[in-house]
Amino acid sequence: MFFNSLAFAIFLPIVFFLYWFVFNKTKSTQNALLIVASYYFYSCWDWRFLFLLVFSTFLDYYTGIQIEKSKSEKNRKFWFWLSILVNLGFLGVFKYYNFFASSFSELLNSTGIKASPILLSVILPVGISFYTFHGLSYVIDIYYKRIKAEYNFVDYSLFVSYFPLLVAGPIERATHLLPQVKVKREFDFKTAKEGVCQIVWGLVKKVVIADTCATYANAIFDHYTSMNSFSLILGAVYFAFQIYGDFSGYSDIALGVSKLFGLDLLRNFNYPYFSRDIAEFWRRWHISLSSWFRDYLYIPLGGSKGGIWMKIRNTFIIFVVSGFWHGANWTYIVWGFINAVYFLPLLLSNSNRNNMDAIQLKFNFDSVKVIMSILYTFLLTCVAWVFFRAKTITDAVAYLKQIITNRDFSFQYLDNERYSYELSLMIGVFVLIEWNSRTKTEPISGKGSMMKMALAILAILAFGTYSDYKEFIYFQF
Amino acid sequence: MKKFLVYTVKILTITILVAVILDGLYTFIFLQSKNRGKIETIFNSKAKKYDVIVLGSSRANNHFVSQMFEAKGLKTFNYGMSGGHLFEASLLLKLMVERKYVIKNVILEADLNLSNDHEAEGIAALFLPYIHNSDVIKNHFETQENFNELYYIPFYRYIKYDTKIGFRETFFTAVHKKTNALDNLGYYPLEKHKNGNMKNNIVNLNPLPHNKYYEEIKEICKANKINFIAVMTPMCENVVGMNYFDKVKKAYPEIHNYENAVVEDKYFSSCGHMTDTGARMFTSRIIKDFFNK
Repeated sequence: MFFNSLAFAIFLPIVFFLYWFVFNKTKSTQNALLIVASYYFYSCWDWRFLFLLVFSTFLDYYTGIQIEKSKSEKNRKFWFWLSILVNLGFLGVFKYYNFFASSFSELLNSTGIKASPILLSVILPVGISFYTFHGLSYVIDIYYKRIKAEYNFVDYSLFVSYFPLLVAGPIERATHLLPQVKVKREFDFKTAKEGVCQIVWGLVKKVVIADTCATYANAIFDHYTSMNSFSLILGAVYFAFQIYGDFSGYSDIALGVSKLFGLDLLRNFNYPYFSRDIAEFWRRWHISLSSWFRDYLYIPLGGSKGGIWMKIRNTFIIFVVSGFWHGANWTYIVWGFINAVYFLPLLLSNSNRNNMDAIQLKFNFDSVKVIMSILYTFLLTCVAWVFFRAKTITDAVAYLKQIITNRDFSFQYLDNERYSYELSLMIGVFVLIEWNSRTKTEPISGKGSMMKMALAILAILAFGTYSDYKEFIYFQF
Repeated sequence: MKKFLVYTVKILTITILVAVILDGLYTFIFLQSKNRGKIETIFNSKAKKYDVIVLGSSRANNHFVSQMFEAKGLKTFNYGMSGGHLFEASLLLKLMVERKYVIKNVILEADLNLSNDHEAEGIAALFLPYIHNSDVIKNHFETQENFNELYYIPFYRYIKYDTKIGFRETFFTAVHKKTNALDNLGYYPLEKHKNGNMKNNIVNLNPLPHNKYYEEIKEICKANKINFIAVMTPMCENVVGMNYFDKVKKAYPEIHNYENAVVEDKYFSSCGHMTDTGARMFTSRIIKDFFNK
C-alpha cells in the first residue's frame, strides 16, 4: 500500500475516523488501534514478513528490559550483544548475504580459484533497514543508560511499527517518539491542518516532480551511451530532483499523516539543495539517518576527537557505512566514499560548521558568493548521484566521462518520446517555490493557504505522472 | 474536530471542482483538435466520401500506400494505427458511420490482431476525451472493466492515460502542433533498419475463433453496403509458427492470405513491418487483385 495509492486514500480516513471517534477513550485504545492499522498496512506488502517485524520488535523489547534488569555487567553485555547481533544478522541475511557471497566469489575467481557462490533466493522485507535501526537505537540507548526500558509491549511496538514511518522512516528515536506514545493524544486543529498541507505538498513532490523526473532520468541513464553531454548533465540533474522529490515527498507525507494522529515525527529534510557546502548538505538531507550514524557510530568511534588520522578514519567509516546502508551494491559504497572525500577538506580545515545560519540574499557580492557555493555544492551532489543511480561503477564512470568527452550540447529526443530539456521549466518553478518557503516546513500553509492548496491540487492532477513509477525509491532500502 | 471536518470538506470540494474544470477544459481542447491524429480528425469531421479506407494496426499503417490507390483514381485514406487492435479499428469505423461517411471499400488488415479482442490501452485512450460527447464511444467502452471510473469520475481518464491524453498532449492540441500521423494520406513509410529485428516467434499465437470486433466490422460493412476486404499482410522470412496464417484461413475463410506476397528480408524494416519498397510491392498486388476492373 503506497502513500500515493487509492488503497491508502481509503485506509487513512478509516483509521482517522476510528482513532478520533471510536478508540479515543484512552491512550491504550489509541495505541492498540494504531498497532492493528500498522500491522495491516505492513501486511499489504507481504504478510509473511509481519512475523519478522513482530519478532524483531519482541527481541528488542525483551532485551531492553533484560539489559535494564541485569545486575552484572556481564549480563548487560550479553543481552546487548544478543540484540545487536540478531538485528544485524537479519539485516545481513536478507540484505547483504548475496552481495558478500558473490563479491567473495568474484575475488576468488580473480585470483584463479574457481568458485560459484551459494545465493539465497529471498526478497528484501520492506522497511527492514528502518525498523532494525529503530530497535538498535532503543537498545543502545538503554545500554548506555540514556533512557529507561519500555515495559508496555503495545507502546513499544507502536514506536517500532507506527505505519507512517514503518517502511521508509524517518528513523525515530525512543527519546522523541516514546514519550508521545505514552500519553493520550488530544485532537488539535492547527496541527492536523498543518499535516494536511504537508501531505499535499509531499504528493506534489512525489507525483509531479519525482515521478516526472524519473521518466526522463531513466530514459537518459538507461541509454547513456547514445546521449550527448547536454542530455547527460540534465539526466544527472533530473535524477537529483527525482530522488529528492521521491524521498522528501515520502517523508512529508509520513510527517503529515502522523500529525493527523497527534504524533510528531522527526524532520527528515530541510531543503538540502540550498546547502552552501557538503557538511550543510548532510545536515539537511535524510537528517534522521545522518544523525543516527553520528550518534551511534561516529561519536562512539571517537568523532572528531583524537588525531588527524582518527578524524579521517571516522569520516570515511561513517560515509561508507551510510552508503552501504542504502543497498548491497558497490555503487552505494562508492557514493558514500565520494561524499567522504567531499566532506574531508571541510573537516580538516575546521570549516564543517561554517554554514549553520539561515541563508539570506541581498544585492551584494556576498550573496553572489552564496549562490555560487549553493550551485557548486549541487554540482558535487549531482556527480555523486550518478554513482548512486548507475547500475555499476563502470557505468557511472563511463557516464561522467561521456559528459566531458562528448561536448555536444544540442537537444536530444529521448526514449520516453520527449525532448531532453522539456522538464527544466517545471523544475525551475519547483526550485523557486521551495526557495521562497525555505524557512517553513512546506509552502502551502500560511497566508492564502486555500488558494495555494487549490494550485497544489491542480498541479497534482494536471502535471502528475501516474502511468509509471509509483514505488518510492527508499522502499527498496 | 468540527473545524477540521469543515476544512477537509472544503479541500474535497476544491479537488472535485478542480477535476471538473480540468476535465471540461481538456475535453474542450480535444474537441477542437484537427491535425494531431486519426481519431481526433474523424471525431471532429463531417461526412466524407472515400473509395477505400484502410483499417488495422501498424501492419496496415505501414503496408498500404494510399497514394498508389489515389493514382488509380480511388479516394483513399489509411486509418491503420500503430499499436492498435481490432477494438479500436471497429470503433473508428463506427465513428465514420456515425458521421455519415460514404465508404465504398474497407480494407481490414486482419491477421495477428485476430488473436485478441481486448483494447490496446495506448490507442483506446485517444477516444476517451470524447466519451461524454459520443454515444458510439460510450457504448463501445461500456463493456470495459473500468468503464464506470472512466465515465463518471471527472478527469480520471486524463490521469489514468496521462502519457496519451495528459497535459502534454492537451497543450500540443491547444496550440495546434502538427504531427505526421495524417501525412501521406495516413500511410507511414518505413526505412530499412540496420538493427531491425528480423526474427519473430508466433508459435503460441492463436486466432480467436470468433473475434468480437472483427465480426463487428464485418457487420457494419454489411449493414452500410460497404465492400469488405480482409487481408493478412506479409511477415519476414525468419518466423517460427507461420502456420498461424493457416489457422486464420481455417477460422475465417473470407480473409485473403497475402502473408507470402513479399518474402525477402530486404523488403522489411522489422519482421512484421515492410519498408516503403516492400509496402509498394504489396499495395500494387492488392490493387491488381481487388481494384483492377
